[in-house]
Amino acid sequence: MMEIISSKHWIEWLLIIAKFAFAFVPVLFILLMIPMERRGAGFIQDREGPNRSYIKIPYFGKIRLFGWVQNFCDGIKLFFKEIYAPAGVNKVLFALAPAIPFMVVLISPCVIPWFAPMAFTFGDQVIRVSGATVDTEVGVLLLFGLASLSAYGAVLAGWASKSKFSLLGSLRTTAMTISYEVCLGISIMGVILLAGSFNLDSIISWQESHVWGIVAQPVAFFCFLIASIAETGRAPFDVAEGDPELVAGFHTEYGAMHFGMFYMGEYGHIAVNGLLISCLFLGGYSIPFVSETTLHANLGIALAAACGVAVLAALVFLHMIYRYSRWLRTSALSTKNEVLREYSLYKILAWASIPVLAVLGIVCALYIHPEFSIVNGTPVFGLGVALGTALIEVIVLLIKTVFFCCIWIWVRWTLPRFRYDHVMHLGWKVILNIALINLVVTALIAKLAGGN
Amino acid sequence: MVRVIRHKPMNWVERLYIFEAFRGLFTTLKHFLRGFFRYETLPTVPYPDMKPEIRRTYRAKHRLMLRPDGTPRCVACFMCATACPAHCIYIEPAQSEDGRIEKRALRFDIDHLTCVFCGLCVEACPVDAIRMDTCETSYVHRNRDDFVAYLYDLTTWNPKSYPQNDLQSQAAPGGSRNKQALEAWGMKVQ
Repeated sequence: MMEIISSKHWIEWLLIIAKFAFAFVPVLFILLMIPMERRGAGFIQDREGPNRSYIKIPYFGKIRLFGWVQNFCDGIKLFFKEIYAPAGVNKVLFALAPAIPFMVVLISPCVIPWFAPMAFTFGDQVIRVSGATVDTEVGVLLLFGLASLSAYGAVLAGWASKSKFSLLGSLRTTAMTISYEVCLGISIMGVILLAGSFNLDSIISWQESHVWGIVAQPVAFFCFLIASIAETGRAPFDVAEGDPELVAGFHTEYGAMHFGMFYMGEYGHIAVNGLLISCLFLGGYSIPFVSETTLHANLGIALAAACGVAVLAALVFLHMIYRYSRWLRTSALSTKNEVLREYSLYKILAWASIPVLAVLGIVCALYIHPEFSIVNGTPVFGLGVALGTALIEVIVLLIKTVFFCCIWIWVRWTLPRFRYDHVMHLGWKVILNIALINLVVTALIAKLAGGN
Repeated sequence: MVRVIRHKPMNWVERLYIFEAFRGLFTTLKHFLRGFFRYETLPTVPYPDMKPEIRRTYRAKHRLMLRPDGTPRCVACFMCATACPAHCIYIEPAQSEDGRIEKRALRFDIDHLTCVFCGLCVEACPVDAIRMDTCETSYVHRNRDDFVAYLYDLTTWNPKSYPQNDLQSQAAPGGSRNKQALEAWGMKVQ
């Protein structure tokens, strides 16, 4: 026991333990995605979406946070509802089933590399920490294995709730998950072939040194995107819970927080898939045209640039707020004074954040001059530089993931749902074949071009 | 006349689905961006905070027009009650105090739960006493009896909330043409 502990430096242990906090990133994405989805759906359908729930604070009145508060209202409502099970259900499995998708959401991002492997000097030692919580050679396979466990949640829910609708829904989930797992696996084989590794870190570093996966493997990207949308079981592939024919599919009999767990599990699954797809096809944590050594050497400039982007975002936000409130003042809205009072809070916050970020950026640019020592011919920087770089890389990865989450929402509210046999047709006869052909062609080209 | 609509068969690009899917995605993207960056141009109205614009020609809640001295213009001729397909108008006549006019309405009740808002009463009225141009479309009450509008409810409207070119409304007490109208009617100027 002591040998294991003393085999690593204490700072290394600290970082390894701190990395467990990344398990909660998909859970935070749930908080982000639910309002994004509901308001986004509203805008796509030319309506406003939920924007009426508010928190009342002293001077500024009703703070609605652009519909964000709706999240907490829904959460509180689901939390305090009675947990109800119909007669004749298998009590244990019925209670266990909703926990499985949610548990999978917490576990499966363990192989996602959040930042490039750190190497820094601490004292007189060189310490190396990997970006993923679990640094394993079978990264993608482990993630697929864990992610397909979430089908068990649906299957057990359908089996335990003693309802024909649930059972049919869970049967469909099983069939669809299995068929699209195959497409998912085959379509990433091209990328894995090029990178020569299952480890997500190696795949990303291959993309850094060559091109992004989306450029090298565009066909695989589309196959993977469609297959993973199908795997999360959302429209247009929501046959598992298709409300026109199956009431609500496998969670027909569920209510309160049991239903909430399924709901959050679904959104968490989207976040995990978004993380995976941005790692495989969009270069993960890497910034285009900026290598990691450049980032290390110019950390101050990079942080300043990040602050600059944040300032720009704040200015855009302010512009939108001012433009809308100018219209609001002349509108016939009876609550306009209330809304303008609410917006004054956002204006104050945004205006306050701009000088803070600007000063922070200037200080970063002027005073951060990374010092390095040469170890084995490569420059190695200190702990601060490593953490700063990791911060930037995590932000980059999260931005890419948010982009993919938007695509999920966008596709859901655009395309009409497929019939069940169409889903199977698309999976087995179209996507699988395209992915296989793509794999063969990639393998041929890679062999002829003398790759690995 | 029968109009035959022939559906064009899909060409092979459309049958591939993927390109049409992208077109659909582009359409929804346009709508999303409109909502996101031009929130105020959304066609929906945040209802209780902002009332939709209702034209004067819309058949809304009734009102009874007033003479320049403030008495209802109704002569209790029962034309509206007879024309009403829903039988929602109840009129009780009485002798008019003005010698020039035979009858007046002692009671004039309209049950808005029974009313079908067809506007036949407005068409039937020979003296333009009943109108449906109040633009009031939502009635919320706690019990059924409150939905019945009595003579008092029908005659208490403010001429200031009606347009200036609505001369009949402006002739009522408080209206901009009240003084002129009183003179024209040969009534006492108060």
